Amino acid sequence: MGRDVVELRQMPDVNKLLLKALTGAVTKKGRKAELPNRSFLMLGHQQDVAGLAAYCRVTGFSVRDEVPATWLHVQTFPMQAALMAEDSFPFSLAGLVHVTNTMTLHRPVKVGEKLRMAVRAENLQPHAKGATFDMVGEIHSGDELVWSGSSNYLASGAKVPGSPGEAVRLKAPEVSPSQQWRLPGDLGRQYAKVSGDSNPIHLYPLTAKLFGFPRPIIHGMWTHARAIAALGGGLPDAYSVKVQFAKPILLPGKVGFAAAESDGAWTFAVVNREGKPHLVGELSPVAG
Amino acid sequence: MNPRTAVVVGGNRTPFVKAGGKYAVASAQDLLTAALDGLVARFGLAGQKVDEVVAGAVLKHTRDFNLTREAVLGSALSPLSPACDLQQACGTGLEAVVYASNKIRLGQADVAIAGGVDSASDAPIVVTEPLRKALLRLNSARTVGAKLSALSKIRPADLMPVPPAVVEPRTGLSMGESQALTTAKWGVSREEQDELAFQSHQNLAKAWDEGFFDDLVTPYLKVAKDGILRPETTVEALAKLRTVFGKDNPTMTAGNSTALTDGAALVLLAEEEHARAKGWPVLAKVVDAQVAASDYVTGSEDLLLAPARAIPELLSRNGLTLQDFDFYEFHEAFASTVLATLKSLEEQGLGAVDRSKVNVKGSSLAAGHPFAATGGRIVASLAKMLAAKGPGSRGLISICAAGGQGVVAILEA
Repeated sequence: MGRDVVELRQMPDVNKLLLKALTGAVTKKGRKAELPNRSFLMLGHQQDVAGLAAYCRVTGFSVRDEVPATWLHVQTFPMQAALMAEDSFPFSLAGLVHVTNTMTLHRPVKVGEKLRMAVRAENLQPHAKGATFDMVGEIHSGDELVWSGSSNYLASGAKVPGSPGEAVRLKAPEVSPSQQWRLPGDLGRQYAKVSGDSNPIHLYPLTAKLFGFPRPIIHGMWTHARAIAALGGGLPDAYSVKVQFAKPILLPGKVGFAAAESDGAWTFAVVNREGKPHLVGELSPVAG
Repeated sequence: MNPRTAVVVGGNRTPFVKAGGKYAVASAQDLLTAALDGLVARFGLAGQKVDEVVAGAVLKHTRDFNLTREAVLGSALSPLSPACDLQQACGTGLEAVVYASNKIRLGQADVAIAGGVDSASDAPIVVTEPLRKALLRLNSARTVGAKLSALSKIRPADLMPVPPAVVEPRTGLSMGESQALTTAKWGVSREEQDELAFQSHQNLAKAWDEGFFDDLVTPYLKVAKDGILRPETTVEALAKLRTVFGKDNPTMTAGNSTALTDGAALVLLAEEEHARAKGWPVLAKVVDAQVAASDYVTGSEDLLLAPARAIPELLSRNGLTLQDFDFYEFHEAFASTVLATLKSLEEQGLGAVDRSKVNVKGSSLAAGHPFAATGGRIVASLAKMLAAKGPGSRGLISICAAGGQGVVAILEA
């Protein structure tokens, strides 16, 4: 099946896109729930050192030449948002819930590398609460695939034919939290600034309330990044990581982080006071 | 008991850049971690335990109380590698090497990493003393009344932050102003200073061109080369710069003084047999070292000439003369520091130094001077030069430091 590839000449402005994307119904009216057969491509993307440093500051990484895998996800995010804001895209961003995320860092990527990035939507599936799909991203440096990622979203209330498959359940490590993180009330605004994801549910109590949250919630991808950063020097050079977003973290908040290593592979969880997970993840090295 | 020898296996540093430049976004801890990452990669130390990592920074945040250990935990080294922070102003890096070498010699460590970092871009800004005292009182206040009372002590002027200054607390003089006194006292001419600065740039540029730093420097944040280096500068261009320190007949300019710099440098040290067993290069032995201090406070001696006290002690203990070296590394805090130190040594009857052997791969005027990182830069470079020169070749390192201190050391291939 041939895909319609659209090359973006400049990085889309996420703020404008969000406004547009948030103002639609969950399923856009009169539209069949069908993903656009289109991918966005960006060539020669230069990573911004100051942006990287700001991102690292907010998520807990050291600022090094080799960039975090989650930073590479952030590089593709405006393209994802642009794809989801397209008129041909069947769902409104307002109704989307980030369920799981997987990514593979195939080899260490340096901040000086020029990136060729592509995103597309695929794998529309029925779900007990609606429909799920994957936003898939790939990053090449030269001809080499250096990063690939897939963000699985749930469009609540959307209907696609078929019967729902089994939901993924990652297992949290059976160890007590070894770290405690204090998340300040403005963390959502801090992360919005460094990630470009200024979805109002993350910003202010008032804007969060508009979308049904009592307080702002931190971005799932912040929690993901912070969890990877928490592994510190134990991170392999090249790895695959999968996380499941179980429960939003309200801001300000205090959460625990638990991690267990076995044969170079990690399982980890970000948990609340009762030990219930907000995020569960697993990470394993891949041959570089 | 077999005598144990501490040797330099190799080194790694970030390129050095002017403060407020391309590393402005990086913290001291980021820089130190980057230098450590490169060293770990170069010598395949990922996942391995090092017996001790010792480093320091001159400009240091309170949050960095465990700077070196934090860098270790952020690196690929085994988290079982202990670390400590050490600080002796600009002597930090070399003093760290001495500390680690002594532990290796004593059998307390087989492998150690030593060096330092400084980020003048990331310098801590301090609050005024009245504000600090009020905040401490506020923190311990239990009642609303006590809290309000603490807050009421704050005056608007107290809210201004206090920027960092490299000023000697006892003289109130900046390092440049102190050195201007030394420059005048020792009669160091503008021409001599500019010539030394010119040579530093020439030598460093040549070293970069011939690939000398290929296995000593790892690029960081899109910077691959020292940013302060001006290969195209000339004695004429340096002569045109306006003077910045000194009052009567001032001679010191931004060209013959070091710039505020960001960077980190580390050295891998090991017990000689241990290094050979690992198949590591044995570049040079750390033979001996000496610290000394000068009585500068009342002006009878010079702030930055303590090395001229340390060198004679070091030479006499090792039965060497000042001429018994193949290379000399005199840290160029200012061009006139090097020149005044040489004059002082000569005046003490130690004789002259062959200037063609001084700072032959460039020094701080061209490379820049991230205070605590300079020692690591010099040790790694000198060890490599000595290894290339061959067995028995010898080098002398001299580094001056704030507080009227000096650290000097001998390396031998």
